[in-house]
Amino acid sequence: MADPLADIDRALLGQVFEQSISKPVTAEQMIRYAQACGETDPRYLEDGPDLVANPTFAVTLRREKFVPEGVPRDLIYRGMDAGKDVEIGVHVRPGDVLTGVSTLHDIYEKTGRSGKLTFLVLRLVVENQRGEMVAVIDQKMMFR
Amino acid sequence: MILDLHAHTDASDDSRAPIEGYLKWLRKKRDLVPIDGIVLTEHRQWNPDVDYRDLEDRYEIVILRGAEVETDYGHILLYGVNDEMTARFDFSDVHLDAQTVVSEVEKLGGIAAPCHPGRPTIGLCEHYEHKAPLEGVLAVEALNGGSRRGENERVGQLMGAFGYKGFGGSDAHLVSLIGICATEFERDIRDVDDLVRELREGSYRAVDFREQVRAARG
Repeated sequence: MADPLADIDRALLGQVFEQSISKPVTAEQMIRYAQACGETDPRYLEDGPDLVANPTFAVTLRREKFVPEGVPRDLIYRGMDAGKDVEIGVHVRPGDVLTGVSTLHDIYEKTGRSGKLTFLVLRLVVENQRGEMVAVIDQKMMFR
Repeated sequence: MILDLHAHTDASDDSRAPIEGYLKWLRKKRDLVPIDGIVLTEHRQWNPDVDYRDLEDRYEIVILRGAEVETDYGHILLYGVNDEMTARFDFSDVHLDAQTVVSEVEKLGGIAAPCHPGRPTIGLCEHYEHKAPLEGVLAVEALNGGSRRGENERVGQLMGAFGYKGFGGSDAHLVSLIGICATEFERDIRDVDDLVRELREGSYRAVDFREQVRAARG
């Protein structure tokens, strides 16, 4: 079967295709996210000076574009979610403004029991208003 | 001396096992998986800067490194990787020519050994059904901890037909699977040179700890 990613221009790798900025994060948002995750740790659930967001909170940052221009938009419907690698940085606290920068990070092949697989990795780097790294999220899509 | 010759840490894209997780697990489970060392064989890569000597000393477990590359005859483990090899081959290329890998790696001081030969698509057995056998293969992974029922069983026939030696490896991608299959060497192995020499010329056999690990889990 033809490689579904063969036509993607490799020059797109590493180029920023979107920058999104959140509104100031509220305690309510953080608590609702923690509740949705099934958290029981009071650090993530009780409003007050010690409240911080659950470490994976950064994945909730809204983006308009999932893939860069030059990558067929219907591609995401033809692949399979191959998971996320999340590197966690500093805590998110109420009032933080998060900036997410998206890049097409990698395209690579591997071979498995069922044949050739191609992976596309989209990286989202999230920082707070002080420029501190909150999370680096690598979203993998797998294509057969 | 018993070594697990095939394991992946979180440096591989499909593993979540940190090296220290393996070492802690092996220390705790020595009665179940009595292995003396591991060989990390990350997928399609070689990082020359990694140094595990401190961890070796701390956990008293030998840590050696190889690589698992992908070829037109399936996956092949490389032991004795050196700068010349990484200059000669692009380890990330999933279309490497297996015969060239086997021949060149030997010339460059290492050994290339096909792994999980009984596995569909990426194992040697299936390729031998419609292609000429590789020249210069000395050993294959006779026992692979990640193989499905029937896959390891196919390898015995292959070894008999071509006179290959057989070794074992867990192919662990998760901490709790390290050491479940391994290789017992007659002589001690302290470094990669020892490993290459013993795989080429020494006496060894694949050993299987899966049953006792399963029994302990209940």
